[in-house]
Amino acid sequence: MSPQLLKDMPVVELVNQFTEITSRQYDAALFGNITKYNSLVDQMLAVADELKSRPGDQRSALVPLLVHPNRQVRLMAAEFTLGLAPVASRQTLQELSDAKVYPQSAYAMGTLRALQRGDRKPT
Amino acid sequence: MLAEDFELQRALALRAVTGGLLRLRWLAAVTRFELAMHRHMRALKYNPDQPRVPRGNPDGGQWTETDANGNPVAQRRVRLAGDAPTNDPPEVPKERPKTSSERVGWLKATARTAAEQGIAAVEVAKLYPWMAYYAAGMQSYSDPPRSLDELQSATPGPGYDIHHIVEQGQAEDEGYPREAIDSPDNLVVIPRMKHWEINQWYQTRSPEFGWQTPRDYLEGRNWAVKRSVGLEALKIVGVPKP
Repeated sequence: MSPQLLKDMPVVELVNQFTEITSRQYDAALFGNITKYNSLVDQMLAVADELKSRPGDQRSALVPLLVHPNRQVRLMAAEFTLGLAPVASRQTLQELSDAKVYPQSAYAMGTLRALQRGDRKPT
Repeated sequence: MLAEDFELQRALALRAVTGGLLRLRWLAAVTRFELAMHRHMRALKYNPDQPRVPRGNPDGGQWTETDANGNPVAQRRVRLAGDAPTNDPPEVPKERPKTSSERVGWLKATARTAAEQGIAAVEVAKLYPWMAYYAAGMQSYSDPPRSLDELQSATPGPGYDIHHIVEQGQAEDEGYPREAIDSPDNLVVIPRMKHWEINQWYQTRSPEFGWQTPRDYLEGRNWAVKRSVGLEALKIVGVPKP
């Protein structure tokens, strides 16, 4: 999706895009389609950057996704709201980590450990 | 009736009852497994047309008419793009999938669900015969964590792989000697599917590494950093004891 298309999208559509992309990441990860997963990361980062650039940092619109039924959507929503909703996003990461369902548990644990070490600064 | 005949009849009846009970137990396990897989696959298709209250709130997890900021959902509604899917979720294939990535995907998803449900891999293989070849690997997936010493001193059997804590391919490319790469200190015996997960993790872009893959992040870094990340990889797939 072109940067201009993203710029023209209302926030609600950007959140829809984020949900769709991260749901497709779940499928790609489940079936070990690493190339697909990694290319979806680029798409997701573009959407998250666009939300961040909107007045007032509209990544806050991702907060409701912290309770999405798909654990990959929850994981990525938590990653991008750590600086905006630190308690809720960390709780989501902790729950994903505790559930021990790979790969989301692995990524959630990795982020929590990085936060604990101070290697990761929420923005 | 002779005493021997009576004993024989009794033994046969007992065997029939036991066999029936075992069959019922197996059917119950299979049903639980099928339902779990159904739920698992349906989750992939779930359309969250209505937001829920985030955790940390008194009504956390409940469906809501407003979002986290109290705005009406009509303005901040979250849903998947496109129509809600109407087709049935995909079934675990009865025939062996043609491609390796499909097989690995189904095996991992199935092993994970079976482990969650406490179902033995051998029972799964009765339902999906093509998985029988991988039963040992599926069974070892639910192994409890072991100490690093135990993992380093174990002998690899069916369903287990020898894993290099510092990845051998990259270490070799960067000129590390084979003696270091293959030293007992760098080798652990781990469940095969955990090994697959670690390989997948090394190739997947992750926020922990600035959205690089761990493998890219480690390129050119020293042995100690590679080992530290290698030990981290083992921990996050739950192989060693915490």
